[in-house]
Amino acid sequence: MLTRIACLLALIASTLHAEDAESLFVRRVWPLFQEKCLACHGNDEKKIKADYDMRTYESATKGGESETKALVPGKPDESPLYLASTRQHEDWEPMPPKEADQLKPEQLAWIKEWITSGAPWPDEAKRNVIAKASAEKWSAEDGITVKVVGALSPEWANRRYKPESLWGYQPVKKPVLSNQPSVHPIDELLAVKDPAPAADARTFIRRATFDLTGLPPTPEEVEAFATAYDRSNPSDQTDLIGTLIDKLLSSLHYGERMARHWLDVVRYADSSGFANDYERGNAWRYRDYVVRSFNADKPYDQFIREQIAGDALLESDAGTPARNDASSAGKSARITPNSELLIAPGFLRMGPWELTGMEVAKVARQRFLDDVTNSVGETFLAHSLQCARCHDHKFDPVPTHDYYAMQACFSTTQLTEREAPFLKEENTAGFEEKKHLETRRAEHMAVLQRLDDKLLQNAQKWLADKKLDSAKWNAAVTQAKKGGGKNPKKGFSDVFGTARQILTKQGLPEDSFPPKLVGFEPEDFGNERVARKGLERLKWEMERYEPYAFSVYDGVTIPMVTVYQPLRMPGDRMKNGELEQTAILGGGDPFSPTAKVKPGVLSIFGSVEFPEGIEGRRTALAKWIASKDNPLTTRTLVNRLWLWHFGQAIAGNPNNFGSTGKKPTHPELLDFLAATLVEKNWSIKEMHRLIMTSAAYRRTSFPTRSKTDESENSSYATFTPRRLMAEELRDAMLSITGELNPTLGGIPNRPEINIEVAMQPRQVMGTFASAWVPNPLPQQRHRRSLYALKIRGLRDPFMEVFNEPAPDFSCEAREVSTVTPQVFSLFNGQASYDRALALANRVLKEKAADPIVRIFTLAYSRQPTADEKAACEAHWQQMIAKQTTLTFAKTQPPLEIRRDAVEENTGEKFSFQEKLPGYTDFVPDLQPADCDAKTRALADVCLVLLNSNEFAYLY
Amino acid sequence: MNAPFFPCAGSRALHAPTRREFVYGLGTSLGSVALTSLLAAEQKSPLAPKPQMVPAKAKNCIFLMMEGGPSHIDCFDPKPVLEKLHLKEFTREGKMKSAMESGKRYYVKSPFKFAQHGQSGAWMSEPWQHLSKVADELCFYRGCQVDSVNHPTAMYQMNCGNRFGGDPAIGSWVNYGLGSVNQDLPGFIVLPEISYPQGGSANWGNGYLPAHFQGTALRAKGSPILDLQPPQGITPEHQRANLDLLGKLNAKHAEEHPWHDELKARMNNYELAFRMQMQVPEVIGLEKEDAKTKEAYGIGTDATDAFGRKCLLARKLVEKGVRFVQLYAGTWDSHDYIERAHGNLIRQVDQPIAALIADLKQRGLLDDTLIVWCGEFGRTPDNGVRGGTAYGRDHNPKAMTIWMAGGGCKAGHSIGSTDDRGMEAIEEVHHVRDLHVTLLRLLGLDDNKLTFYHGGRFKQLSQIGGQVIDKLIA
Repeated sequence: MLTRIACLLALIASTLHAEDAESLFVRRVWPLFQEKCLACHGNDEKKIKADYDMRTYESATKGGESETKALVPGKPDESPLYLASTRQHEDWEPMPPKEADQLKPEQLAWIKEWITSGAPWPDEAKRNVIAKASAEKWSAEDGITVKVVGALSPEWANRRYKPESLWGYQPVKKPVLSNQPSVHPIDELLAVKDPAPAADARTFIRRATFDLTGLPPTPEEVEAFATAYDRSNPSDQTDLIGTLIDKLLSSLHYGERMARHWLDVVRYADSSGFANDYERGNAWRYRDYVVRSFNADKPYDQFIREQIAGDALLESDAGTPARNDASSAGKSARITPNSELLIAPGFLRMGPWELTGMEVAKVARQRFLDDVTNSVGETFLAHSLQCARCHDHKFDPVPTHDYYAMQACFSTTQLTEREAPFLKEENTAGFEEKKHLETRRAEHMAVLQRLDDKLLQNAQKWLADKKLDSAKWNAAVTQAKKGGGKNPKKGFSDVFGTARQILTKQGLPEDSFPPKLVGFEPEDFGNERVARKGLERLKWEMERYEPYAFSVYDGVTIPMVTVYQPLRMPGDRMKNGELEQTAILGGGDPFSPTAKVKPGVLSIFGSVEFPEGIEGRRTALAKWIASKDNPLTTRTLVNRLWLWHFGQAIAGNPNNFGSTGKKPTHPELLDFLAATLVEKNWSIKEMHRLIMTSAAYRRTSFPTRSKTDESENSSYATFTPRRLMAEELRDAMLSITGELNPTLGGIPNRPEINIEVAMQPRQVMGTFASAWVPNPLPQQRHRRSLYALKIRGLRDPFMEVFNEPAPDFSCEAREVSTVTPQVFSLFNGQASYDRALALANRVLKEKAADPIVRIFTLAYSRQPTADEKAACEAHWQQMIAKQTTLTFAKTQPPLEIRRDAVEENTGEKFSFQEKLPGYTDFVPDLQPADCDAKTRALADVCLVLLNSNEFAYLY
Repeated sequence: MNAPFFPCAGSRALHAPTRREFVYGLGTSLGSVALTSLLAAEQKSPLAPKPQMVPAKAKNCIFLMMEGGPSHIDCFDPKPVLEKLHLKEFTREGKMKSAMESGKRYYVKSPFKFAQHGQSGAWMSEPWQHLSKVADELCFYRGCQVDSVNHPTAMYQMNCGNRFGGDPAIGSWVNYGLGSVNQDLPGFIVLPEISYPQGGSANWGNGYLPAHFQGTALRAKGSPILDLQPPQGITPEHQRANLDLLGKLNAKHAEEHPWHDELKARMNNYELAFRMQMQVPEVIGLEKEDAKTKEAYGIGTDATDAFGRKCLLARKLVEKGVRFVQLYAGTWDSHDYIERAHGNLIRQVDQPIAALIADLKQRGLLDDTLIVWCGEFGRTPDNGVRGGTAYGRDHNPKAMTIWMAGGGCKAGHSIGSTDDRGMEAIEEVHHVRDLHVTLLRLLGLDDNKLTFYHGGRFKQLSQIGGQVIDKLIA
């Protein structure tokens, strides 16, 4: 302590030579001002805070609205500039305001020393001279500058970076290994001291099976593996593990599991979010594309190229071999579209997006551009590019120019649902459910017809009340009725509206014929709205069964006002619109373009040739990203893979390799994996093999040391256990009850979710979204959770409480929290009770020799101990006594539901009946009423097991 | 109950940070480390109360969210000039035009008469029959502006600071900053309409904050908390027996994994939940309130019953130490028939709100409780001819009225103003982020200190920092 005080005193006392003080300013103080102060105190003249401008010595000295001199040369303790920075002085607000931005003691000392030494402030020219003269010396000590293009200020361009904060940009350097065959390269690089031994066979097969398929192993698989493993010597055990991994990698469920991880990152959902939250009827084809790609072990570089520019690859005829043998014989003139390549760029549209009449179209377009720019950065490059949207990046060498250069790659990218015949690999089963949507459409049409009739009646009454001549009106009505009265534009009956139009066109005064919606009651307003908007919403839902891809094309930007139905390809995509000229946007505002920007990439990597026409921009971007020499790309992927196996990434923020993200704990290992990925032809399956055969992955989770011995969690001395993800929990339950329908892919299914949430009215623009009606058949409902319809505005509460991420932001790693609603969901909820009953029923129906043993092997992959067995047996008996006294009625699904709402036009309450035709052929899961007391009592035991910690955690 | 009830002791992100947990935990983020360092080491619960960062009166907040965009022009910001302009054609220029503003547009006068009330002379329209009686408790603010003209994005911005959703709601931030004095109830409770607003429950989501800070919606219909009760026919005794078996299995498992601390948290959670399902119905029931109080809130009267119940429940919850209660009423999106629509809506909330203010005051709770009334934006002085001769108003992000009561706000004042047509704020104009910073300050929180490290940077409610609107603070 004493020495510290002495040092501080020495610091305070010191005054520097004039030259040194100037150097201190140029080297330390001015850059500090740049970084911490000038954003509010000078950079934007219009927005200078507290009237304090720090751009020049004069203004910085003068002070701001406090009218106190801010800088007193020689006297730091009388200089508010310094005092505010200390955050300790009661007269001065702490600066910078954000606590997280506060100056470090070292930085404060620089300011203090500089003021003590007279606060010299060389002008820009002199600053450059000083900087240039000392460049070499400082560079060694302070970090390095990097060359980028288009920085907004020379200071930013000359900013110095600590080399360690630029780790992500360095070329991948494969470490030299000892090449001892007995040491796995990963283990050599982890260099774990005092490692725990390998996990036992049962633990390992459970771990590996969940990790690669998201499902538990069957008791038979466990038994076979464990028996063989326990009989083998270590070398054969290694072979057994290799065989197991190969088997799991060849399971089609592998692709589903990896897709779950990937879709977290890209924010997959089946709806648009925001006001309308329209369904994205064909988004499922992208989801299945991802599953197929992982299952096929598509080289990752190709996977990137397809998602960024598949449509362009197709047009340049450089597509994948998986060509569609389309039966589109009638369209022989055209090249058969390779649907896969049209589906893949759905990635670019995964963010929430819509354009309603309430929004400015240009703003909405810009939202898409910002979203896709950032998404590409986060997903493939571990760069949160949005930080450079309004200014040069605060911490990373990404000028705002780079942001817009990347954005320019998408300025000719247009949204479309484009024709793409179904591939034979795609699951097109279940389309017959469309009939329920057609029923709903017919009902909406009928309501509109009825209301039209009502309006016509009300019109007569209105005319009579006003004592107006009805002749012209009646003539208009007669005319409107010709052709069935259907308004072709609207697609439904609107005689009343058409008649009004006729008279308006004739130039009749507005008050001489009935007004819009004449005589409507609150209920009529509501019903009309629900039906009209309902028809609109159905267009999106019907898209699900159509051979269209949720995709993009290159072209000019065609003016749009609203998007209320799927967007088809325009006749000529090069005409009738604007060729967008990307520019740096002041404050990110699309109405404040400044300097024009050409398409490009992160300029720290040097320049890349880019086409500037309409086509080819994304292809060039994809080529740059998917290059073996792009160190961000390869590191980003292997870092994610590591996270998916170990629950923690090597670089702790998988979406952010910038200086604010966590640094890699094992940089050499990360580079080894990145280099290996390229060597293995970008094969992801090879990477799993590599990672999973390491001793680190095979280790037990039991610590070898005493509990008091604390080590870093990144030491990998033990394997870190994890709670199952929401989807794994549900899928595992379905799997052990035998209910799981393992079919791959296809249109989204609708499992039963909490019925109150399913029936909950939900406002969407101008109406209510329709209720969540589950699929009629159990096998349709019991698909893997990956396939459940994912609506942004309606989350399955079970998934939500178990930390399923919301699809608004990219999820780099799942959170795991333990909150009470999880208990309500898993212990009280209908779904888990149904599973418990199904498990009990399965075991009893199988006539298992010992039901309790069977349940344990299914749920835990092991036999019960004698105590456990006794406790469960006793409970079963006790519950039989209890259940015998209970009777259960069969529940009937609701065929319609009353909706209570406040009507927008009138502010009055109104209610309507929503029909639920989807429930007409509903077959419920096994119900308590179907089972005897013995089964129900065993279900109590099963429910307990499904809720137990051993089931929820993976070791 | 000794143990915290809703936010259980067990989140890895939050409970007392033994190093062990970081050793064996998963996905621990730097954010949670930062947070745990915020917590005193001996504090067991993530929601343990924490001292205010700056001295302030308000300890709780009742946030009255008038979803849909109430019209300032027809509630609290009279524009007599519109009488003259009524039905005169109006043209909107400029780039920010959306389809909403297409076609012919006309000025629309307010259908309501205005009068001044209380010593402060606050302007209110005629339908505010009850609120006008507590006019001097209110601090009106007419300078707020938001970025979005569309409901869900504006709702997200008002509730969470970010237009695009996914960020923590104010109630989450407040609980993160202050903790909760009642460990047996969630610290952030939402009383939504039967139909959820546009944007759904993300309006009260915890965003990147740990899940304990999520708003708990007490649903207006059906089970107030989802799956609060076991399936029908399962008695508490029956469930207790199941829990006992669960306890046995878990105890054995924990014995075999003594180093795995999460297990204990998860076990405790089941016991907490079991107690909760007994107690919550009583906590949120209004049966024991006396008839007079219920009548004062308008409970039992058709128009005011629903919101009256919410207001009374809000008072009960605040009394029990719930930090942040948000009430929804709507939809105020009156594009047509403003007289009918707004007239009805005002009548539905007027008496309950006035009763709430009076009740809190009488119980000495108003000083501790900040009440905020607002929508996601205001409305325009003009309208298209959507409903023929029906008059309404469109969305207006540039002008709105917000009012506050209690909790150290500047009661009896009107701060800021809009132009003579109510089109745009012109005096004491602030972006909504400054309002957020001010609300936090009224609750003793400093937006610049209330940050959370996520995705590689420190994030805050105001997004980029803002300034306190001093004039709103007494």
